[in-house]
Amino acid sequence: MADAASNEQLKFIRNFSIIAHIDHGKSTLADRIIQFCGGLTERELKEQVLDSMDLERERGITIKAQSVTLDYRAQDGNTYQLNFIDTPGHVDFSYEVSRSLYACEGALLVVDAAQGVEAQSVANCYTAIEQNLEVLPVLNKMDLPQADPDKVAHEIEEIIGLEAQDAVRVSAKSGLNIDLLLERLVRDIPPPKGDREGHLQALIIDSWFDNYQGVVSLVRLFDGTLKKGDKIQMKSTGRDWEVTDIGYFTPKQNSTGILRAGEVGFVIAGIKDIQGAPVGDTITHTKTKDVPRLPGFQKVKPQVYAGMFPVSSDDYEDFRDALEKLALNDASLDYVPENSDALGFGFRVGFLGTLHMEIVQERLEREYDIDLLTTAPTVNYEILMDNGELVTISNPSKLPDMANVSEMREPIVRATILVPQEYVGNVISECVNRRGVQLDMQVLGSQMQLVYELPMAEVVMDFFDRLKSISKGYASLDYSFERFDAAKLVRLDILINGDRVDALALIIHRDHAHSRGRILVDKMKELIPRQMFDVAVQATIGGHVVARSTVKALRKNVTAKCYGGDTTRKKKLLEKQKAGKKRMKQVGRVEIPQDAFLAVLKVNE
Amino acid sequence: MMDLPPLALYIHVPWCVRKCPYCDFNSHGVGRDTELPETRYIDALLADLDQDHHAVQGREIVSIFIGGGTPSLLSASAYQRLLDGLRQRLIFARDIEITLEANPGTVEQTRFEGYRRSGINRLSIGVQSFAAGQLEALGRIHSGGEAKRAVRSAREAGFDNVNLDLMHGLPGQTLAAALGDIEQALALEPTHLSWYQLTLEPNTEFFSHPPPLPDEERLWDIQDAGHDLLESADFSRYEISAYARPGRQAHHNLNYWRFGDYLGIGAGAHGKLSSIDPAGRWRIERRWKTRQPEAYLRRMNDPRGFVAGGQTVERRALPLEFLMNALRLTDGVDVEDWENHTGQPLSELTPRLEAARRQGLLTTSPSRLQATPQGLLFLNDLLALFDEEA
Repeated sequence: MADAASNEQLKFIRNFSIIAHIDHGKSTLADRIIQFCGGLTERELKEQVLDSMDLERERGITIKAQSVTLDYRAQDGNTYQLNFIDTPGHVDFSYEVSRSLYACEGALLVVDAAQGVEAQSVANCYTAIEQNLEVLPVLNKMDLPQADPDKVAHEIEEIIGLEAQDAVRVSAKSGLNIDLLLERLVRDIPPPKGDREGHLQALIIDSWFDNYQGVVSLVRLFDGTLKKGDKIQMKSTGRDWEVTDIGYFTPKQNSTGILRAGEVGFVIAGIKDIQGAPVGDTITHTKTKDVPRLPGFQKVKPQVYAGMFPVSSDDYEDFRDALEKLALNDASLDYVPENSDALGFGFRVGFLGTLHMEIVQERLEREYDIDLLTTAPTVNYEILMDNGELVTISNPSKLPDMANVSEMREPIVRATILVPQEYVGNVISECVNRRGVQLDMQVLGSQMQLVYELPMAEVVMDFFDRLKSISKGYASLDYSFERFDAAKLVRLDILINGDRVDALALIIHRDHAHSRGRILVDKMKELIPRQMFDVAVQATIGGHVVARSTVKALRKNVTAKCYGGDTTRKKKLLEKQKAGKKRMKQVGRVEIPQDAFLAVLKVNE
Repeated sequence: MMDLPPLALYIHVPWCVRKCPYCDFNSHGVGRDTELPETRYIDALLADLDQDHHAVQGREIVSIFIGGGTPSLLSASAYQRLLDGLRQRLIFARDIEITLEANPGTVEQTRFEGYRRSGINRLSIGVQSFAAGQLEALGRIHSGGEAKRAVRSAREAGFDNVNLDLMHGLPGQTLAAALGDIEQALALEPTHLSWYQLTLEPNTEFFSHPPPLPDEERLWDIQDAGHDLLESADFSRYEISAYARPGRQAHHNLNYWRFGDYLGIGAGAHGKLSSIDPAGRWRIERRWKTRQPEAYLRRMNDPRGFVAGGQTVERRALPLEFLMNALRLTDGVDVEDWENHTGQPLSELTPRLEAARRQGLLTTSPSRLQATPQGLLFLNDLLALFDEEA
């Protein structure tokens, strides 16, 4: 079928993504488009079909890229193939966004007509524009009485510089103007280019491991045609495979036996290991193995690190296996074994951000049934030794002897914050508290744009949550790593009943050490349950106690009444107590709950 | 070959006048004027026993406890017929203890005399408190004065062995009020006092609408001072919540705490029964009867019998099951009781006993399994060490 006429068909294809802030309605809009095109029957259309991981649906966020292919019969009488590639909407996952955009010729910028533009969308939108995508603004939530589309259109023009006066005004919830949106999409987003008779050149946008099918790769074909049974080669490994299944998602997996240039779909080739089909790799035919590689993606680097330890040491092997399996589908997950005096054997795991960390922990516990303790997240620090050696550490307890350290350096980010004017004061003082340096401040539409340089350590902890709470949810944030800067940092140690607990150590700015130490021990006092004896919690710097508090001993812990013959009641009571201890770790004689290890994240609550 | 543990009998009477807001037992409030199906219930109890009779294995019955609900709602003639029926079916030990639970609001002198004649030789009277406000808050149907009269009537009817149930840590209770309750109880000269702290149990009215309970410090003061007061009156604590005059410990409860066997008959009654097969393998089974009184009565002519469920206690669950009872006793139990009442070697327990001893929760005596004073205060923590998955 790969004839000249086939290349004509390219003009009936549109590849697009949706850029939107988390709650601006992307998933609802995606559902509505799928429904409009008949991708699923009413019965099959579960809410938000594209967010397929349980966790994604529960949290209402997208973590991984997904795609769906739809047929749209336009008013010009032609049927268009729409390939929609979903993008994650959280700041932790911006790397995945640029990957998704790479497969597209256009993107819908969906903005809540009641809320206005938010920083993450701006950043993603710039990424799209840099990649030469046609960006189509869409004003959503027109059903809301407080929708102010003129104001928001103006804001889009001012902040992003995108013509928005004739932006389509839709309501994904009610279905208003979805037809108009699809017409506009077909009209304004350019069709893909490519030669279906040329040598195969396909880019792997995403790969995941499926228990039944092995590695499934989401690909965008730039040139050539790929069929079931074809011999293919991965450019990065030079290994040959045979395509066993190929097709696209509707969103159901639909095996068509063929994909052509310009299309987006899945390829399965009997690959058992995700490294055999790495994201960003180029696929070609074995017979045309000299085809050049497409520019892939930069390997993403973890931004925050935390120790993860199984509550029960018997689970260590299971935990390692689970991490290996999880890493199959998450190239950003990075881990090395770690041994803690307090927590035993575990792993130091690198994450894209704290949300990523929470998600990984939840998946490990839910999907692999392992109870875990996670230590407070930390960023990478550079330590310049007196002998000129530069050491990078991601674990406070591994900080070398300060006597030999000439300089400590911390990562600095450039943060862009968009916030309505009335909350600017709050945001500025929050940034100042976090050692921020203001680079720029300007009015954009009805919002202020603040640009700050901030220590990454201050940003990755709870900055985003904090911004939300001091701006009634309106502030938005985007940030990127800039450089390492020298800083006066110290290690704050936590002692429980006189013993230093390595897993509780923190690296912190010297000027904050006393006040944060105080807040931290008070918070830990709240979080450590009372036990059979007094528990002393101390914060120390270089051996000097800067704060202390005491968890008073319980008077007793015993069931008053004995229930004669029915022992099930008593057992239930003991089981309840046991369930309460599930996420506790015995450190010395003291039971410490998970919450206490993350107390540093909760000091602002 | 080892012998089976001693065997007791528990009989449940599932009705009461009004359900108390703290009570999570299988009891059903029926008001004061409802005529209870006494005859049918006694028939059912005896039929229930007949169905369990194979578990007796030739043992004599060391004690009987008739609990509820409010067993004193049933007449003396009903118990006469019940105990006659039991004597026909079972061998009673020479010194058998037969206890009946009585609510002070449901008994008068003549009824007590009839109970005594039927063979019941111990009464457990649910006083809970003597303070009018507390009795009302607890939903009790009697006054403090009635409780006192009931105890005197019981004694005049020939009961020389009387337990009083008394609670502390009641809503808003002061130390003085709690001690006042104990003093009034002591003045009635019981032989035994069950003095226990009010606990909010799931599936009770108090659990869903918790009353304002005293704080931990006051609870501690009450327990501390109350304990001293009881001990100074020659009531020795022999279990977490049980105090007795010399030689007057409750045999029936001791059998539970020592992991003895018991048959359970009546609506919702639980039994624990051991058996040893010819190869010497032990099996310990728990079984329970249909809970709803009407459903229980209907089981009389039902081929399924009265049993609602049963479960073999797995070997790995035995340490907790055994110690959860045994360690409630202030003197604990002889180490030999473990082997004698579970059929398992002591080595099954040793590593965890060592851990408990290291934490100072268990005495170091090699011949006893006994909690230290600290272990008694933190019994839940001590038992956690013996959890089957620990």
